[in-house]
Amino acid sequence: MTQADKLLGRWLNTNHETRGIAECTVARDGDSINVSIVGVGEDGPIQWPTVEAMALANLEEEGGQKTGVLLATFELGFMRAETHMRVNKGVFVIVLFATFLDDSGRANYVNREFFYKP
Amino acid sequence: MSEQRFAQICDLVETEPIRDRDIDRGALIGNWINSNPDTNSIARVKVFEADGKLQLQAFAVGPDGFIDWGTTTADVFAAGPASRTGAGVAATFNLRFAEVRLQAMIMKGLLVLAQFHLFKDDSGRTSYFMREYYAKTHELFNQ
Repeated sequence: MTQADKLLGRWLNTNHETRGIAECTVARDGDSINVSIVGVGEDGPIQWPTVEAMALANLEEEGGQKTGVLLATFELGFMRAETHMRVNKGVFVIVLFATFLDDSGRANYVNREFFYKP
Repeated sequence: MSEQRFAQICDLVETEPIRDRDIDRGALIGNWINSNPDTNSIARVKVFEADGKLQLQAFAVGPDGFIDWGTTTADVFAAGPASRTGAGVAATFNLRFAEVRLQAMIMKGLLVLAQFHLFKDDSGRTSYFMREYYAKTHELFNQ
């Protein structure tokens, strides 16, 4: 099992009231690792386009954990979401750096959410 | 069909236009020192403004002292799409043999720095990730 294999699977947000990412699925496709995200929408879930992630070795983490890290960028037209994902003590963590590409005046922002494997 | 404006409902906000320079960078600006004195990676980070842009300078541990990576322009990120509080930065250092992408967040007064080291040479070294913690110091970084 590689470090990245520990990231595979379907992960649900620990916060059921989230207004951000509801769930994330990490799947292997040959030598590639693909990431799918479902955002919380007004009238139901919003499926983001599936993207291929870059897997990196996790050199150091608290407690000597080594679960690998994924880098994935989602181009959503109005927004670019640059994310990295890792598992810390069994919790899947997504850190998202959002850059708005439209003229909405919204601030680029960073957010972090936590996920569990059901 | 209306133009897509959000992919998660937290982004559905109405706000007066927030420009980069409107975001308060006070929490980000400063000299940051690695909480781990035994680190073999980035020991110090200097975050400052020049010409209205946020700049980031990194000093890594070398065999004979610190290695100054130089300065690169950083992107500033707020705490939310309607926030004017700076909460994170992202920057990339091109070191010829490697590209190092940095993504940092302020958490509980610490700068939590995610580092993505991507080797570009033919050394065969594996690209890797590190995450380290930095505390703001009044120490001046001459080197």
